[in-house]
Amino acid sequence: MKTRGALTGRASRQTAPARDRNHKRRRDSPAWTGWDLLNGDPVPTLTVLLTTTGCSWARHNGCTMCGYFADSNPHVQSADIQKQLFQALARYGRGFKIVKLFTSGSFFDPNELPVDARDAILSSLADTPKTIVESRPEFVTSEILNDVVKLNQHVEIALGLETSDDAIRNDCINKGFSFSDFVRASENAHSAGFSVKAYLLLKPPFLTEREALEDAARSTRDASPYADTISLNLCNVQKGTLVEALWKKGLYRPPWLWSAVEVLKQAQGIATVICDPVGGGTKRGPHNCGKCDREVLAEIKQFSLSQDNASFTASCNDKLLWEFILEFEEFSYGAPLVQ
Amino acid sequence: MTGLFEALRRDGAARLGALVWRGDKLLTPSSLGSKEELEFLKASTTQEGELDAKVIASHRDHKAERIAADVTILGGAARFAKNPRGLAKAIVGARQSANPDSALYVPALATPNNVSLLVYAGIDLVDSIVAEVKAREETFLFAEGERQFDSLPRSHCFCDACRDTDLADLPPDQRVSVLSAHNRQALEAELRIVRERVEQGTLREFVEGRCRSAPILTALLRFLDEEYSYFERRSPITRTSTLLACSQESLNRPEIRRFGERVISRLDKRDGILLLLPCSAKKPYSRSRSHRIILQRLGKLRRFLHEAIITSPVGIVPRGLEIMWPASNYDIPTTGKWTCDEREWVTGRLAQYLKTNDFYAVIAHISGAYREICDDAAAGVGVSLFRTVNDENILSTDSLQRLEAIVQELIAKHSPEQRDLRLDYLHDLANYEFGSHASAAIFEKDVTVGGLFPAYYALDEGTRLATITNKYCTLALTLEGARRYLREGSTRYCVEIDDFVPKGTVFAIGVLQADSTIRPLDEVIVLNEHVIAVGRAFMSGWEMQSSQRGAAVAVRHVETR
Repeated sequence: MKTRGALTGRASRQTAPARDRNHKRRRDSPAWTGWDLLNGDPVPTLTVLLTTTGCSWARHNGCTMCGYFADSNPHVQSADIQKQLFQALARYGRGFKIVKLFTSGSFFDPNELPVDARDAILSSLADTPKTIVESRPEFVTSEILNDVVKLNQHVEIALGLETSDDAIRNDCINKGFSFSDFVRASENAHSAGFSVKAYLLLKPPFLTEREALEDAARSTRDASPYADTISLNLCNVQKGTLVEALWKKGLYRPPWLWSAVEVLKQAQGIATVICDPVGGGTKRGPHNCGKCDREVLAEIKQFSLSQDNASFTASCNDKLLWEFILEFEEFSYGAPLVQ
Repeated sequence: MTGLFEALRRDGAARLGALVWRGDKLLTPSSLGSKEELEFLKASTTQEGELDAKVIASHRDHKAERIAADVTILGGAARFAKNPRGLAKAIVGARQSANPDSALYVPALATPNNVSLLVYAGIDLVDSIVAEVKAREETFLFAEGERQFDSLPRSHCFCDACRDTDLADLPPDQRVSVLSAHNRQALEAELRIVRERVEQGTLREFVEGRCRSAPILTALLRFLDEEYSYFERRSPITRTSTLLACSQESLNRPEIRRFGERVISRLDKRDGILLLLPCSAKKPYSRSRSHRIILQRLGKLRRFLHEAIITSPVGIVPRGLEIMWPASNYDIPTTGKWTCDEREWVTGRLAQYLKTNDFYAVIAHISGAYREICDDAAAGVGVSLFRTVNDENILSTDSLQRLEAIVQELIAKHSPEQRDLRLDYLHDLANYEFGSHASAAIFEKDVTVGGLFPAYYALDEGTRLATITNKYCTLALTLEGARRYLREGSTRYCVEIDDFVPKGTVFAIGVLQADSTIRPLDEVIVLNEHVIAVGRAFMSGWEMQSSQRGAAVAVRHVETR
């Protein structure tokens, strides 16, 4: 990969704005409801975005596509974080079969989320059939898991693997861990009795549409032995990231929805892959020509619940353009052929 | 391997070239059409093969590097599709860092609409990727812009692909193949025109026309015009074609600007009486009806005067330079109305001319808008004018009478020296071409002038020193003229060659050192330790030096030193 030089250390963090830093402590966090699979059946879910002191990796280095650090708050305290969850539960009720806790960092990182908050949150959700938390693999150690399992046996740990290709993960995403780190974390989780979800990123920067598609399809196969569920994340352009800087220069285009459809189709029968596109159909999010985006997005959501290729029936003239781009984008030597 | 590309002809930064391409000869500028060709080129960037290609990133400044590949690829240039400022900078930067022997390729950017400007900027290779993308967006590409297929009436286009087809009746995939054939054809057709324009040396006129079809292209040309030194270094000193100044951008042509700058910086400083005259449609001016009438009226009085012509877009043309291109051969729309830009430009040139020289009397035999320009310029530099035309025609009996009277009066008052006017042509051309003080070196003593206008020559006791050539009206030195020029110790306009006796053509590979001020079609002096020769340059001095291929100088005379 020729792009290595472009990505030194803090490339992505340097452009991140320091907004929210001086805001007063945020107590109510965004939360929303949705549907997801539990043991193959669609069930209602509650997602709560917990504001923490932010991802420790983002503070020192950071990933090229991630702008979530901007949503963190260095002044937040343990009690605030607990309160965020309890307010959401009070608002939406406790009847959800799945609760997803997004910390925009690592739930098991004691520097990001104090241990007392972590334990209080997990024990309060002990009766929920599934609680999903996110973490970088270095915090998914047997010590931590042994502590956690005493409080809650129904945890699913989501690991941001992004890709099974170490070169792409390091050079294009700057993730800072390897596939073997992911495997180790996954094994730790499984031996503690937890399930594992792997996040895969469709279209990191510096890849052509075809390279991105092939990488995601390959990663799905590679990750499936270590993940109970795979979540395919379609890269979107977040504020203050390297991806945004590239996008503004015309050097990055979010993935086509057709590419996501293709990855999902290829995954059928290999792994359970769900996909909930963020910003779908917008300039900053994954999109097609604009005419068919809505329909294809609905089919992707449909597939996430049904895991059935028959979900995909949409067709649009822009598929010819997408096919051409898969074949010819490499010949532009670095720029997407269309935005 | 390198040495597969050679620039054969130049028109400013644009070139006609030949690239050895997969066992064949590809004439550039050209479009890479097939996937095999694109794959071949891509493979050449990473493997040692028959062709040497190098990718440079469009977002970096490469001026420090020198890229000596057969093909230089401006990576990611497609991102400038809507950014003319970035595109102009990127192309100029890439062209300056790539060797002249390297073909410059912009991937995924060319359309029939913009390809002439890309070539004008210095691009040698393009491709049909955008033509294919647009076909899949159901868009027609034309030389004058793009149109969505459903916004066009039936049989709008008469090309092979469209003539007998009604797109609306076709299923999408067939529609795409018709559109793709059309778009590719449109690109090829435009490239043919562009190649012919480069051949004729009239690409600038063509792009000034093309860029009118889209603001983004006009912007691109304007940004390119800001790169004056880049284009000036590549622009020939003279042409046989007529410079057509039909647009606002014509004023910013590098040749126009260079002419104006040399009039100020290179010509001898003058004192005496200056007569300002308006331009004429017929060139050279002195062959026009209006100038003939005025000049006949003045007769021998002219020998005491300096004459200069006021004109748009060339600015100020001293009489001696009226035979030098572009003053000798340009055309503009004459409506009698001047735009603010023209007015400002010409006023500036005149003010500068008056300031640089030291005339003790300035006569303005001029009417209409010219007069306002003269007044503004003279007021700006604090010179008072003798006006000989009131509200009448410059050829009216009254105004001519007034002119003659004032000239006689001024001559009587100042009694300036009289000159052989033919010498003005020789002196001005010598300085214009070879730099200030060149005329003093070449014609140090009084020389006699022979020949018929404009092909004058200078003799010193029977030895010819220089001749004004017929085709280009440049001043060509004889070997004796060259020796006199060199006596000053100047190395300007000199090309130092390897140890051989040049015959016919000197190739770039044989050039050791060349003066960087040499421009295509300049008269140059070729020398090494043993011989001295004179000839005409085919390429700029810097290009002779950094190039390994191509004809550098056509030698006219050679002698041992």
